[in-house]
Amino acid sequence: MTRFLNSQKAYGIIAQALHWCVALLIFMQLPLGLYAANLPVSMARLQWLSYHKSLGLTILALTLLRLVWRWVDAPPPLPGTIPPWERRAALAAHLALYAVPVLAMLAGWLYASAAGLSVNWFGLILIPDLIAKNTAIAPLFKELHHGLVGLLVVMLIGHIGAAARHALILRDNVMQRMLPAAWPTNSRENR
Amino acid sequence: MLRWILLLSVSCAPAFAAEDCYTASAADGEVTFHVLQAGAPFIGNFRRFSGEVCFTQDRITRIDATLDPASVDTGLPELDANLLKEDFFDVGKYPSVSFVSSSVQSQGGTYTVHGTLAIKNNKREVEVVLHSQQASGKLSISGSITLDRLQYGIGMGDWTNTKWLGAEVKVDINATLARGK
Repeated sequence: MTRFLNSQKAYGIIAQALHWCVALLIFMQLPLGLYAANLPVSMARLQWLSYHKSLGLTILALTLLRLVWRWVDAPPPLPGTIPPWERRAALAAHLALYAVPVLAMLAGWLYASAAGLSVNWFGLILIPDLIAKNTAIAPLFKELHHGLVGLLVVMLIGHIGAAARHALILRDNVMQRMLPAAWPTNSRENR
Repeated sequence: MLRWILLLSVSCAPAFAAEDCYTASAADGEVTFHVLQAGAPFIGNFRRFSGEVCFTQDRITRIDATLDPASVDTGLPELDANLLKEDFFDVGKYPSVSFVSSSVQSQGGTYTVHGTLAIKNNKREVEVVLHSQQASGKLSISGSITLDRLQYGIGMGDWTNTKWLGAEVKVDINATLARGK
């Protein structure tokens, strides 16, 4: 059981699974959105944008689940070698890594609602609109969506860069905590 | 020959004389359509239309209407531009949608209207149920009709895929008509 939960040294299976699922879906979502948004009005655009919106709502739900899980199962503490300012920066960056995609996805949802292009999640569940159709303000949400996604891309580059720094320069095992090899194996030793 | 003309004019005269018409215009009404896109409801309007509702001896006996498909307005300019093209309304070739009634049956304020709907040269007999109300020289009518867009050639090519663009299109009509011809 313990390997499912976070230990002092590493993230458990649940936190890791959620992290890597969201990572994979976001790396599918970004090119999907970029591709669909640049198609001319066509059946293909309708289909790809529909998949983009359904996937976005999936990622939104998983991200909110991750936030809840982070609160339920506290992340492993950072090693003592990391200075206080860096700990504070890391915490702020990680909270922003939750907030920015959530806001980006909400902006996308608002954009779809305002444009009158409601979402049926993978053709299975009709999703309510956040606001009534108002095509006058739809472009505003479009810009907001694009801006937040741009910010997210910058933050993801920073996140991956920081992980690489821990793995390759600092060699402090901070990055390895999120890898399957680090799954806690022995409750007495690890907790 | 003269006898026939006289006979014809005598028999038709009462009908023409008694006809009392109201006209509808887009300024005082709306035509809205509902269709499913990717399984979710989508709404649009037609901004230009006109109609005529005629009474003979206090009963509606004729309802004719035309609509300008080029006035389609979904609020999404890119989409509207696409709806004017060949796959949809092909407005260059078919500038008008028309409805001409053939019979009107009334029951209180409810009218069952049969007639011919012509969209893109596809003429089909349809039935529309309308509700009407008269007050201070004005006549309000409302009703709706559900059409299979594919029967009228609306959404050809890739758009015939009804999983992504529903086949059923519900059209709501609401108008306040003014008296006069």
